[in-house]
Amino acid sequence: MADQKIMVIDDEKIVGDMARLALEQDGFNVETFLNAEPALERLKNERFDVVVTDLKMKGIDGMEVLRTVKRLYPETKVIMITAFANLDAAIEALRGDVHDFFPKPVKIKELKASIQRALAK
Amino acid sequence: MRKVFSRIISFLRRSKGPAPEATPFATAFKYFKEVLENNNRALEIIADFGDKLGGEYLFDINYIKSAYSDLAGTVYGSIQDFDLLTQNRYPRLRGAFSRIDEHIKTLIYDVTPSRAEMVLDYKDITWNMFREVGGKNAALAEMKNYLKLNVPDAFAVTTHAFDEFMKHNGLQDEIERLRAGVDDEDEALARLRGSILGGEIPPDLATALESAVERIRETFGRDCFLAVRSSAEEEDGDFSFAGQFDTVLNVPAAGREVGEAYKKVLGSLFSVNAVAYQKMHGYRPGDNKMAAGCLVMVDAAKSGVIYSVAPNGDKDVLVINAAWGLGTSVVEGQTDADMYMVKKDAEPVIVGRRYGKKDSMVVARETGGVEKVEAPEDSGEVSCLPDDEVRALAGLAAHIEKHFRRPQDIEWAIDKSGKIYILQSRPLRVSEAAEKTAVVREGAAGARAVLMQDKGVVVQKGVGGGRVFVARHPGELDKFPKGSVLVAKYDSSNFVRIMPYVSAIITDTGTPTSHMASLCREFRVPTVVNTGEATTLLQHGQEVTLKADDDGAVVYDGIAKELIEQAVGNSMKMEELFEFRKRRYVLRYISILNLVDPLLDDFTPEGCKTMHDILRFIHEKSVGELVDRARYGSDMAKRHMAIRLDLPIPTGIVVVDIGGGLAGGRKSGSAKREDITSVPLSAIIGGMLHPGVWQSHAVSLNANDFLSSMMRMPDITTDGKDYAGYNVAVASGEYVNLSIRFGYHFNMLDCYCSENARNNHVYFRFVGGATDMVKRSRRIELIGTVLREYGFNIVTKGDLIIGRLANISRGDLERLLDKLGRLVAYTRQLDAVLNDDASVEEYAKNFIEGRYTF
Repeated sequence: MADQKIMVIDDEKIVGDMARLALEQDGFNVETFLNAEPALERLKNERFDVVVTDLKMKGIDGMEVLRTVKRLYPETKVIMITAFANLDAAIEALRGDVHDFFPKPVKIKELKASIQRALAK
Repeated sequence: MRKVFSRIISFLRRSKGPAPEATPFATAFKYFKEVLENNNRALEIIADFGDKLGGEYLFDINYIKSAYSDLAGTVYGSIQDFDLLTQNRYPRLRGAFSRIDEHIKTLIYDVTPSRAEMVLDYKDITWNMFREVGGKNAALAEMKNYLKLNVPDAFAVTTHAFDEFMKHNGLQDEIERLRAGVDDEDEALARLRGSILGGEIPPDLATALESAVERIRETFGRDCFLAVRSSAEEEDGDFSFAGQFDTVLNVPAAGREVGEAYKKVLGSLFSVNAVAYQKMHGYRPGDNKMAAGCLVMVDAAKSGVIYSVAPNGDKDVLVINAAWGLGTSVVEGQTDADMYMVKKDAEPVIVGRRYGKKDSMVVARETGGVEKVEAPEDSGEVSCLPDDEVRALAGLAAHIEKHFRRPQDIEWAIDKSGKIYILQSRPLRVSEAAEKTAVVREGAAGARAVLMQDKGVVVQKGVGGGRVFVARHPGELDKFPKGSVLVAKYDSSNFVRIMPYVSAIITDTGTPTSHMASLCREFRVPTVVNTGEATTLLQHGQEVTLKADDDGAVVYDGIAKELIEQAVGNSMKMEELFEFRKRRYVLRYISILNLVDPLLDDFTPEGCKTMHDILRFIHEKSVGELVDRARYGSDMAKRHMAIRLDLPIPTGIVVVDIGGGLAGGRKSGSAKREDITSVPLSAIIGGMLHPGVWQSHAVSLNANDFLSSMMRMPDITTDGKDYAGYNVAVASGEYVNLSIRFGYHFNMLDCYCSENARNNHVYFRFVGGATDMVKRSRRIELIGTVLREYGFNIVTKGDLIIGRLANISRGDLERLLDKLGRLVAYTRQLDAVLNDDASVEEYAKNFIEGRYTF
């Protein structure tokens, strides 16, 4: 699993820190970003298997991350997490081919299971 | 004795005096129920909060903000209902709420508190104050205050003082710049250190330091010296920061000198090495604030370091290093020290030793400061420590390790009189290699016998093992051996006393939102409640391991070391994240319970330090309020419609139905046993009617008894017509307050018994009695024995006894009320037969075992 790469984008450090720790325990290669610009920059040079992104962020938001990822790498799965869970956002994300959508707080076990499903497809 | 009599008489008078009923009881009862509802909702939010911040969820500050605003609103609602119920009897509770609310908002919104201490004496520091005083101070104060170890007298200069110092000298912008990133960081750091060393101590801080130093000088004389040591917020927590910050030894105890040393310590937070080390662990400059500890210098003849586990990971062996003089030489590896290996048995066994050359030593100079000098010539050939000192140090180290539940790195010194001092204790990082072997051994638990499975509700996940200690009542906790597994019938917030030492908790009854449950989450004690039969399945003294996770709880026979080590390894990982710890810190003002005992002086609004404390205060005082009001039951009976209970025994009980207490809502006449729809009243009456408990023949009083009864109760004896007239039950479907006066005893039972265990309480009060003082105290002892057996918390004052119990399921409570009903009937004339101390035990045993004849 060490060659499988996961990107986590969230403007709060704690989310990235915790996700990295949890996912690295399972042997993933994890990179975290506090905002979307450098993350998208990184994506230009590197393909990730799964991108976990916050929806609401200053500057580029999660929907734009989703669109960019899908344009660059249609096979990369995107998991959206958000503190502001609402139906509209979820529907829009689903239309944009999001793999999964979680309201925060996200149970780490469930996030891991979702990542496993994403990788199995 | 006179005093006791007059108190009891005034108590009884009070109990039948005019009722100060501004609001009718039914209205008060409505407020009471609203308080319960709000309290429950708040406790659920607190439980959820702890769960979400427990390391198994990704959460962000938005969650914390919204969950907290929900909680604050609910607690506030509870206070409003409480004020209505008590008619604003506790106006200071709102002040407590505001104070705690401000603390929490300070943490959540990262704003500076309006008021905080700059200097704190060690005696005022508790284990959870590492944000205020830094890790080193918090650990030392804990060992001094709680473990009563010999830690030098000291005071802490807080992180708040650090903030003030930086603000006063305009250095906060510097830190912001460093956080944003600068081109030449080394130079920027050097500049910042220079500004700190040349900075001015803020006047408030200077004054506080002066008076703290003066207090030390008053005790230790004008010529005493201090060690001024770093105690960064995160130091000695999960990362040791060993050797990263400065310590200034042998500082003359004077405000100016201490101030200078303090600045040196502050500056060391920004040394190039310290900043690099912090970065490695995810801290940016300014994440970590610097507090300092000022400890009275020990005139050390020898000192050194203990690793409570061997560096090769052998957890059964500890290592002591020792050299002559001050510890600096050992800590910094400047001298070839002695080394002793000790096996950690109940009686420590020295299993290896090696004498170092110890050719130099560091000593304190008479004028202040320290110097390195040559050691006496023969010092290399003799052991620094005689065997008894090695064993004494080993015993202390094992004790400290057990307390902090992790391997420890301990600094110690022995002064010229042979007294041992502990100067520091911090977590020792066990090597990765040692941790991994623990994981490989997993699976061995599969071979262990399962003692209990698929029972109860997991309150806190984790694994813990040790010897079973079955506690029948809170008093027994005094004998609780550290590291044991607590098994109890009921859950109780009294368990807080042993929380730092308990390996796991298993109870027969209880709920995941009880006070105890939130304590378990706070202390991360693996806990399962409501197992139904843990106290029967698990034997006192038996070695067991509890494994509690998403799949439920399993109790294995024996101590499954492999499971325990693995679990510790996993749960420690999230704790290593600074952001995680920082966010979790808010729980210290939310879920910790400090108000444990309603009888202690600090059970006041001022004593409330957390939201949980406020809820506890409200619940306790609300029950008290209800009890107080219902005590005027006889008065209510006159003004309300009172229904006489027609029972086969002459109890003379009348019922004031405040809603759902009697079938058909009858308003006059009499009611039969089967008409009682109040769950708790029905259970109590059931007990009173139990065959054999109602002694129908009168037990003769001797002359002495008769005389004392005449002296004490004129107002009652003249009224006494066949017990009738005073026995009033104020009842609703889920509640009863029963006041009963049988002859010379006054008995009160107040109980709320609903489907929600969290809401339920029972309050049992017994006073008076027509016999001499000796017999009366025997009766109190007997009632106490019985109530303790049922898990009550008890208090006695003279011949008044009060028992309380809360958070108990409806079924258990009904069974208990049945027993209490029997007790009420049984004790009617009991004191007349309690002729010697041995009979107390005998009759108590008889009662508990169901033999009711005298």
